[in-house]
Amino acid sequence: MHSVVAIKQVPDTTNVRINPETGTLIRDGVPTIINPYDIHAVEMAVRLKEQFGGTVTVITMGPPKAAEALIECVEQGADRGILISDRRFGAADTLATSYVLAHAIEAIRAEHPVDLLLFGKQAIDGDTGQVGPGVATRLNVPLVSYAIAVESFDPVKRRAVIHRKIEQGVEVVEVSLPLLMTVEKEIAPVKRAPLSNMIKAATYKPEMWSADTPVQFDITQVGIKGSPTIVGKAFTPPPREAGAILSVAEKGLRDAVAQALTMIGQAHVVTVDLHV
Amino acid sequence: MATKHTFDAIVVGGGPAGTAAALTMARSGLKTILIERGNFVGAKNFFGGVMYTHAIADLLPDFWERTPPFERPLTEQGYWMLAPDSVVRMTHKSEHYKHEPADAYTVLRAQFDPWLAEQASKAGALVVTRTAVLRVLQDSKGKVIGVRTDRPDGDVYAPIVIIAEGVNNLLTQRLGLIKNDLPPRFVALAVKEYISLPAKDIQARFGLTGANEGAAIDIFGDATMGLPGTAFLYTDKAGISIGVGMLLDEFIQHKLRPYEVLARFKNHPVIQPYLEGGKPFEYGAHLIPETGYDRMPKLAADGVMVAGDAAGMVDALHREGTNLAMTAGRMAGLTAIKAHQAGDFSATFLNQYRQDLENSFVLKDMKQYRRMTDFLDTTPHFMGTYANFLNDVALRYFTAHGIPKRDMERQIVGMLQERRSFFGVAQDMVKLLRAMRG
Repeated sequence: MHSVVAIKQVPDTTNVRINPETGTLIRDGVPTIINPYDIHAVEMAVRLKEQFGGTVTVITMGPPKAAEALIECVEQGADRGILISDRRFGAADTLATSYVLAHAIEAIRAEHPVDLLLFGKQAIDGDTGQVGPGVATRLNVPLVSYAIAVESFDPVKRRAVIHRKIEQGVEVVEVSLPLLMTVEKEIAPVKRAPLSNMIKAATYKPEMWSADTPVQFDITQVGIKGSPTIVGKAFTPPPREAGAILSVAEKGLRDAVAQALTMIGQAHVVTVDLHV
Repeated sequence: MATKHTFDAIVVGGGPAGTAAALTMARSGLKTILIERGNFVGAKNFFGGVMYTHAIADLLPDFWERTPPFERPLTEQGYWMLAPDSVVRMTHKSEHYKHEPADAYTVLRAQFDPWLAEQASKAGALVVTRTAVLRVLQDSKGKVIGVRTDRPDGDVYAPIVIIAEGVNNLLTQRLGLIKNDLPPRFVALAVKEYISLPAKDIQARFGLTGANEGAAIDIFGDATMGLPGTAFLYTDKAGISIGVGMLLDEFIQHKLRPYEVLARFKNHPVIQPYLEGGKPFEYGAHLIPETGYDRMPKLAADGVMVAGDAAGMVDALHREGTNLAMTAGRMAGLTAIKAHQAGDFSATFLNQYRQDLENSFVLKDMKQYRRMTDFLDTTPHFMGTYANFLNDVALRYFTAHGIPKRDMERQIVGMLQERRSFFGVAQDMVKLLRAMRG
């Protein structure tokens, strides 16, 4: 059983600010964390490893600092961490990112076949949710997005039954292995890592992959060159104005309600006939 | 399956004491684990902001080549005596402070401590963070044999444990090395803000010529509303560390909220211009043990030693603590190395550590100022009375009223007598001298 989990190190958006001039995130001095959905993907992979044996490989594309995130995954029970890091990968959109990850996974599975690919459902700094599905498409494996539970998983019969969140409720999908899942947090609550993992992670050094070693990436498909996305404008929406307060004590109930309905009518929300 | 984690030495706490101990032991080849509960080493650490290089040099002779994250070297230091609307300043600025590395630097601990921990890692220490030690493990005879952490399969064993858990010394207490929890009379609470300001503004306001100069000012009197305590104003690269520290007892007795005391100080007409236009970036608070020499815990027992704030190693008068901690951690580490060589981890052998500290500035200074806390405790009016008096004297001295100077001098003496009898003044001075001489 071999799972590959793709993670992203993101700024902790609970205290992030936007540069009003450029409309981009101010990343300086903002603490980084593992994208919250991704750590649940790691946890899911570790649970399957505990059940069926095997290994968990975690990959990420990012700056050298992202090695920290991989070390944290080793604490959570991953066996191997690969950091794909090269200046030429910078400013990648989801198309270029999915190419790099898919190409890396192809290299990994050539060495050691992969049964399961796991992604978080989206990254909290971009919120696109496109990279996981993009990698599934490139690798031509079944995609189960927004997964919330693994009902059954059989690495021998090569089948899994997975619950996924959809707008109307929950969809239960039977799917063949290998597959790619993008996960919600419910998929597996993160457990406190045992001390043995902490000790192992304290000296763990993730593998470093560049654009040409040990795997050759197609430079035209990576980084800013491989990214057709153009950001037209990014802005902070103006704060909403406070609502009007109609005092029943001042106006009386009847007038207050009448005025409220007029205001609603003027806002073209609804028209009401008042028969009080 | 649970594995038994066995090391040559365990260090509890990633402050300067713990990190210095871990570095010292790892460097000599001992298999050392440092356990820190914070998100990273330094996450729980916090102080006013002056780091003395002598203790770092003792630990790491080549520390300067390892580019420690210092803020500014101190080229001006001193005291301000604050009255409600005025100040008397006594600071010392000298070209003699200008050498590299300097004697002291302002430092932000969230940057310095991770750097120090990295040096310990490089020396071979295993640094494990986000892990709290719940209790110390002992054998049937009471000898310390390891620690229990809050992680699954979290017991760790070693023949020697160095406790550098910080001011809130729960493990030290549970081991019976100290009888009482920290009494509010002997623990200070310091609150601090880091105000971010452009370097050129800091330099202009403090009269510094560049990033190679820095100031550290300790402030008494109205800064702490005349109560025993100190406030401080330290220059960082692109910010100012400002804070106040008072005994916990004073906050309780006078029903003061720490942030109100700090806000009051920040709005003082003398202080406010230094902060003008700055953005508060960080607010924090920390306890400082001022238990003193006579109320220290036992520093060694079978299989265990205690260092740093956990053992009350603070010289409050000279705002020193990290250098005492670093020195003590190093000495505890050296004793642990000798214990391994001798195969003897008994309290008797480990008491070598206490002896080494007694022979160093750490316990010599603490012994000399053993009465300092008591002095402030029994002379609570001291700071307020004399800071105000100095300001009033200055005002009288520097204004001309068309009266003979002899009359002015008499008025000054009269001003003192109004506040404190001759007998009272004499008593205060004798007490102060005694507190200083130990």
